[in-house]
Amino acid sequence: MDRSSSWYALAPVALVCAAAPAHATQYLSIAQAQRLLFPAASGFVEHSLTFTPAQRKAIARASGAAPSKAQPLWEARGPSGRQGWLFVDRVLGKHELITYALALDPSGAVRGIEILDYRETYGGEIRNPRWRQQFVGKRYGAALQLDRDIKNISGATLSSRHVADGVRRLLATYALLVARR
Amino acid sequence: MKRCRPLLGTFVEIESDLGPAIDLAFAAVERVQALMSGHNPDSELSQINRCAHRHPVAVSPWTLEVIECSLDWSRASDGRFDIVRAGRMALVCGGLPRHDDQPLPAEADWTAVQVRDGAVTLARPACLDLGGIAKGFAVDRAIAALRTAGAAGGIVNAGGDLRCFGDCAWPISVVDPANRRPLVSIDLVDAALATSAGLWGHDLSLSFNHLPGRDVRWSSVTVRANSACDADALTKIVWAGASEASDLLRQHGAEAFAIRADGRVESIGGEAVAA
Repeated sequence: MDRSSSWYALAPVALVCAAAPAHATQYLSIAQAQRLLFPAASGFVEHSLTFTPAQRKAIARASGAAPSKAQPLWEARGPSGRQGWLFVDRVLGKHELITYALALDPSGAVRGIEILDYRETYGGEIRNPRWRQQFVGKRYGAALQLDRDIKNISGATLSSRHVADGVRRLLATYALLVARR
Repeated sequence: MKRCRPLLGTFVEIESDLGPAIDLAFAAVERVQALMSGHNPDSELSQINRCAHRHPVAVSPWTLEVIECSLDWSRASDGRFDIVRAGRMALVCGGLPRHDDQPLPAEADWTAVQVRDGAVTLARPACLDLGGIAKGFAVDRAIAALRTAGAAGGIVNAGGDLRCFGDCAWPISVVDPANRRPLVSIDLVDAALATSAGLWGHDLSLSFNHLPGRDVRWSSVTVRANSACDADALTKIVWAGASEASDLLRQHGAEAFAIRADGRVESIGGEAVAA
């Protein structure tokens, strides 16, 4: 190679020819996210939400999106009582499946957001509910062909719009079902 | 520890040996977003876009630095890099909202921006868009925060604008913007990298296809430079096919390659590398 190209190399053929390029990154577990977003909390009480059809409609009207069947939610508690709320939510982009945690303070204002995991595939599987089912309640990476060599990526246009939409839906959920608790 | 937050319209990943330093690094990115996001009607940028054509708008040192840097790049690239023309294009394409009381931009370019005594004035109504440089600046500030906090090494990646520091090499994959297939591998040491892809990649913040002279065979340009801010700005200048591009790369100790629509990779200023 000439000198000017010595700082980069063409990707190994195995990566380039991957049948359906995919990669996944696990950043945090739910427990790690809880500790990071509420470092002073002494415990988390589960208050997972389910919705009546009327509630689903109301949330959809307020935010543009309906909630899934069940919404994981925890109350962060400390020595002087409630420190806030933590939602764990999942959003589906065109090729991405993203799990994230949203922390709210006791007044419902956003305290922080952390991505828990990010999965991407161009094979179309993302849109198949049966394919997504493999991640429900399981450790990531099981039975999924991943390009483990792809770590830090440049060149993909990545938009966090779907997460922003999810946060809007969660804030509407909070306003309707949690704020008065 | 590696963490990720949605910021700057994309995902910002920060990895470092020192966990608490990561919080400080994210705080730096959040500050850049608060100051310079065109989507936030209360940002200093939005204040400039709203009133700087009527009176000087005082801004904080970081905002000043980014605007002054942008003007330097405009001078060096003979106007290829232009936050005024980029802003007008972004408004037209819907990449940026026009906030309440924000005037319609007049026909103008980077020469309409004046910086003096810590304040910004616009010679005529204009919409500035810092999207072509603010991500790189945010990455540099995050790296500085990691260093100041005592981290031995780390990497900050804001949607593909990235920088690393420390003794080790960080493995980077540059992907084809069309299908995200990895095409180039880089072991990056103490350097920054940025990649810009064309409008058809659906990233409206990269609305610089109005620039003349670009090579239509390219689907993306990647620049390695000493700072993320330099890498970010240089991708736009190289993409525009500016004749000064090769000189500017050299002057800044930077290098570049392009990914072509057919998947081949070519060094900028060098020879094509067989796919």
